[in-house]
Amino acid sequence: MPVLPLEEQHVDHKDGMTGKLRSLPALDPKRAVSRHFVLYLPPPALCSPALLEEFLERSEFIIQDLRWLLALPHDLFWCQVIYDESLQKCLDSFLSNCPRSYDPHPPFPPAVQQVQSELHRCVFLTFLRMSTHKESKDHHITPSVFGEIIYNNFLFDIPKLMDICVLFGKGNSGLLQKMIDNIFRHQPSYYQDLDDSVPTLLQVLSSILVVCGVQQDKDSVELQKLGEQNRSTPLDMPVEELQDAVLYLCDSTSTLWAFLDIFPASSETLKKHDFLNRLSCFYELCCPELEDAITKRTFEDKGLQSDLWRRLSHSRKKMLEIFHIILSKTCLQPILEHKAENIQPYVEDFLQVLTVLLPERRFLCDYDELFPVADDLNLLQQVSPSIDETRTTYILHGVQGAYADTRRPM
Amino acid sequence: MVLPRLTGALRSFSNVTRQDDYRGESADLMNKRSKLREQVLESDLTWKKITQFVTGIVDQKEHEAINEGLKEILQAAKLIVGTDHGQEAIESGAVFLLKTFYDKESVGQKETKAIKQMFGPFPSTSATAACNAASRIVSQLPQDQVNRLAKLFQENGGEGRMLFGNNVVFSLEMYELEAADDIPINGTTDIEDRLTLDL
Repeated sequence: MPVLPLEEQHVDHKDGMTGKLRSLPALDPKRAVSRHFVLYLPPPALCSPALLEEFLERSEFIIQDLRWLLALPHDLFWCQVIYDESLQKCLDSFLSNCPRSYDPHPPFPPAVQQVQSELHRCVFLTFLRMSTHKESKDHHITPSVFGEIIYNNFLFDIPKLMDICVLFGKGNSGLLQKMIDNIFRHQPSYYQDLDDSVPTLLQVLSSILVVCGVQQDKDSVELQKLGEQNRSTPLDMPVEELQDAVLYLCDSTSTLWAFLDIFPASSETLKKHDFLNRLSCFYELCCPELEDAITKRTFEDKGLQSDLWRRLSHSRKKMLEIFHIILSKTCLQPILEHKAENIQPYVEDFLQVLTVLLPERRFLCDYDELFPVADDLNLLQQVSPSIDETRTTYILHGVQGAYADTRRPM
Repeated sequence: MVLPRLTGALRSFSNVTRQDDYRGESADLMNKRSKLREQVLESDLTWKKITQFVTGIVDQKEHEAINEGLKEILQAAKLIVGTDHGQEAIESGAVFLLKTFYDKESVGQKETKAIKQMFGPFPSTSATAACNAASRIVSQLPQDQVNRLAKLFQENGGEGRMLFGNNVVFSLEMYELEAADDIPINGTTDIEDRLTLDL
């Protein structure tokens, strides 16, 4: 006889007050245990023994509690996950605060490295279990109910999914792709949330432009007029501010790239917001300003200068890759993989994106170096022989012109 | 230093997350320690059950030595737990000490950490006394009974249960910074000529 899905099961539960047995739904809040998960804090920057000891103690608590959680039977695991707010905060604090490998931090002592590694494993396995609606033949949740549970209880949300991708994506991409596909498949509302998140993503880019002095913050325009003071630019701002801007750029591009790399299906949502155009404009405006500042300012700490340079180069590459993933997923793949019956709108869209890109000379050259435009156009010509040759030639001339304008050899 | 993060901005400025309030939770370590003590107190495995189990499986002539060992553990628990929380807390502490030391020959780092996590700072001599007493008790039990005792502790602590994901191959590898061209010297010449990506 097939086993009922978890949300339909009932269990006998011993009442804590009366000691009597009574039947409860398997997913009743009374079945969750008061465990009190602690928050994760990052390893201390200073090697103070007291801070280090506190970090280790905190981490050990989390490891023990997550191991306990992972060992719970299917029904009790879900009760805990749904109703234990401290667990949700603990997981969220780990995702928010766990150092990324590209963060600037000194190497961790072996003891810290060891607990960090174990924390990583336990947190990943917890999210893996939380994204699995069918654990075995006998332990499963109806997919639509699973979708409601994870969404209504904020077990996953867009920032969490992005953090998960950037923290675990490199070494666990196959499994992570399945997890995130499963989450979006069973709860399409996450697409709407992603859509709602894009304006904030664009706002982050704008705020970096404001710091770079190439775009004014709407709120500060009036104040500036009154004060008649010029905004500082990356060339003359305090070095800490410059460092913050580069770190913000580095994290933003790395995180978004990691998310797209694991879940390229999100490309369509980003593209709807004119993201490709906004990204290339951002690149064109921001990168030269930051490059100038890093190369021309006098740094007391030369190590910081080369660190910032490396982060900026990394961010540039990630932006080009983000652009390429979105363009490939939304235009090229449907054409090349014959996913669409009528490929003409995709061909048109692809040519349109490249045409709009032509004025962004710097971006165009860098993009072409990494993903040669001519190669893509050649492929398109093979698949769609009726492609308008005048337009492809126009685009290729535009690319050549961009190299000439930026005085770079092709 | 708090690093600026994309997901931090999304958490703060978008409407797609639950706005969790973390204020006041930095003192959660203290709360966690008391929660742990509560858990030990609420445990089904009582000191009485332990003493009955241990004395029930040895010959009458060995009772005296066994009882002596149990008393020493209880006394150590008294010194480690303190007397503020009553006899029940002391007995729970004694169960914890026997569970910690029944398969150990000396007080190692792991055991010290476990006791400190549970009860805070403690006299090391008491831990050593408890460890020695536990060793003496166990040495008088037949091996199959030691295994039964271990099982009792494991069942009580929820240990020994299969962890979800035990067979999952997990990689710790994380995204690193990409390699970059060397920084142009002094930035004095037209950087557009030289700053191409090393792809």
